[in-house]
Amino acid sequence: MTDRTVTLAHLFPELLNLYADQGNISVLRHRMQARGWTLTVTPVKLGSRVDFGSVDMVLLGGGSDREQQLVGRELAIYREDFATAIEAGLPVLAVCGGYQLLGEYYELQSGERIPGLGLLAVATRAGKGRLIGNIAIEWVSQSGESDGKTIVGFENHAGRTFHDYAPLGRVLKGHGNNGRDHHEGLQYKGVVGTYIHGPLLPKNPHLADHLLAQALAFKGCHEPLDALDDELEWRAHRSVLGMLGVKSGEIRA
Amino acid sequence: MITILLRLVGRRGTSMPGLVASRVSPDLLFRLLSQLEQCVVVTGTNGKTTTSALLYSMLTDDEHPWLTNRGGANLLQGLLGALLPHVDGHGRLRVKRAVLEVDEATLPLITNRYHPTLIVVTNVVRDQLDRYGEVDGALAMLRSGLLYPGTILLTNADDPLAASLGWERELTYYYGMDECPVDEEPRNEVRDGAFCLICGRELQYERYIYGQLGYYYCFSGHFGRPAPHFGGKTDGSSELIVRERATDPRQEEFMVNAGAPGLYNDYNVLAAAATARLLGRSPRQIQAGAEHYEAPPGRMQTFPGSPERILALIKNPTGANSVLRTLESDERDKAVCFAINDADADGRDVSWLWDIDLERFVSAARCQRYVCAGTRALDMAVRLAYAGVDRQRIQIAEELPEALAMTSDLDVPVYVLSTYTALYPLGEQLRGAAR
Ligand SMILES: [Zn+2]
Repeated sequence: MTDRTVTLAHLFPELLNLYADQGNISVLRHRMQARGWTLTVTPVKLGSRVDFGSVDMVLLGGGSDREQQLVGRELAIYREDFATAIEAGLPVLAVCGGYQLLGEYYELQSGERIPGLGLLAVATRAGKGRLIGNIAIEWVSQSGESDGKTIVGFENHAGRTFHDYAPLGRVLKGHGNNGRDHHEGLQYKGVVGTYIHGPLLPKNPHLADHLLAQALAFKGCHEPLDALDDELEWRAHRSVLGMLGVKSGEIRA
Repeated sequence: MITILLRLVGRRGTSMPGLVASRVSPDLLFRLLSQLEQCVVVTGTNGKTTTSALLYSMLTDDEHPWLTNRGGANLLQGLLGALLPHVDGHGRLRVKRAVLEVDEATLPLITNRYHPTLIVVTNVVRDQLDRYGEVDGALAMLRSGLLYPGTILLTNADDPLAASLGWERELTYYYGMDECPVDEEPRNEVRDGAFCLICGRELQYERYIYGQLGYYYCFSGHFGRPAPHFGGKTDGSSELIVRERATDPRQEEFMVNAGAPGLYNDYNVLAAAATARLLGRSPRQIQAGAEHYEAPPGRMQTFPGSPERILALIKNPTGANSVLRTLESDERDKAVCFAINDADADGRDVSWLWDIDLERFVSAARCQRYVCAGTRALDMAVRLAYAGVDRQRIQIAEELPEALAMTSDLDVPVYVLSTYTALYPLGEQLRGAAR
């Protein structure tokens, strides 16, 4: 019997646990269980070490502005090992505050810069007003291709994020990274960064399975994931598209 | 002009005349407030409607009538709407005492120009993030509303964020639970306040009560639960013993029973009783007032009939967990209908559904059927599916009225848990059905 356990490190859950990260974890856990796998979640509190060698996937969740500043102080100890793991293809899901934290800094209105993990060349600046609301994007692969799949959710961020990596997708309705370039999120190797929560995964089962397939591949297991009954999930997904007036057929295949 | 306004006031729905009047005279609200001899403002995230209603019952009598903005009209217009019916033909208030529930974002707008006698802060937890930014924003708004040093503050010792409002502030009183039934293991709950506001370290808890409430302290000694001036003792029944240590070194104890189930209501009763004591009401008057208390609309409001239906507001994880815990303690079989809207007043972001500890509820609550309604019915349905409810047992109502029809064949109680904007239509419909 091979080891059918996937280990998810949930970084700084005591601080970055806004916007229902539990929802994302719950979806990953159930969808692994349904395929005969066990998802083990290792909470990593700020200050404690992570052995990235024994981790198959990382979740960095959202946090409020204050919490991010607190996290910022003690990040240096993670930088080197985390960066090495990312280069090796470790799947990382980083949402909202966690997405910002992957980058170099978060610049406040005052000009003060709160350091991030510095793992990717990403910069975030506080803008005037928050970018809030339901959002739908067209998911685009890292090589720039799209098969017309959408990702839906909710965004709420004061930060405007800029980078030159592949985005997670093109904004169909909503604001995205910075409200200007119609890009939302980031993809780099196994890393997915995004402002979309709601939480992200329950209404986007295809993205959940994409992350899980990556985690399995990172473990060296290339078995396909069985299809699940996702009717409710897709109905919920389509209802958000409907609220936003996006017809799935409108998206160029 | 006032007489025209007064004609409008006869109608139900307190915000409307207030809205008209505020366009007529933005100063009118403050002119009226300044005529009050005593004014208690109740604010905070959860429990302010219930606490205000309890307090109103404890304070008002024929000799000293009070007025209140019953029903949660807690923005500026709603406050004005509550005052206007009590204005005489000369523009003077006939009732000189008011209990006003005030939204936490509205508090600074009031206190900029008017200083209430006493402000009660029930708690500060995560609520409607997209309306106010985040919980820090709510805390900052409350703090700026409490700057006037002559106002008495009564706040919750067991909630680290609410308690922090009293730091180095004179005329501050605390209430908290001395004794209450608690879970042996902490539940999987959101604890917004669970870190020290000075050093940022996670707070240590000697005891968890619910949500972020408990007996907490910072390991570095910056901060801890203040000793409450009013302690509560409950065994899980709706009888609450209030132990008073505020005005007299001799400890006084009295019992209050408002018939309001749930630990979160014990906090509301304790806050109201403590406020009434600070305003000089006797324990006997407080108990008499509690006996006349009726739950405000949608706060565990029972509609008799077949099936019996119970309507409760849910609007954030802490409040929803408290309501679910009360449902769990009802050992009968039951059905639950969730009506989840995402209008501005509900919070546009429904992420909070995933911060509710539904997994525990689903396994413990003997619930036969789940119905989801409202604009976010499908989000709720997905949430329930991942909480372990068999997908076949989840029904989705396209429209609110359908949700009630989907449970009308049942002979078990139906709990209808609703967000704010679905609450009033559901209440109307349930009143009709119960008739
Ligand atoms: Zn501290």
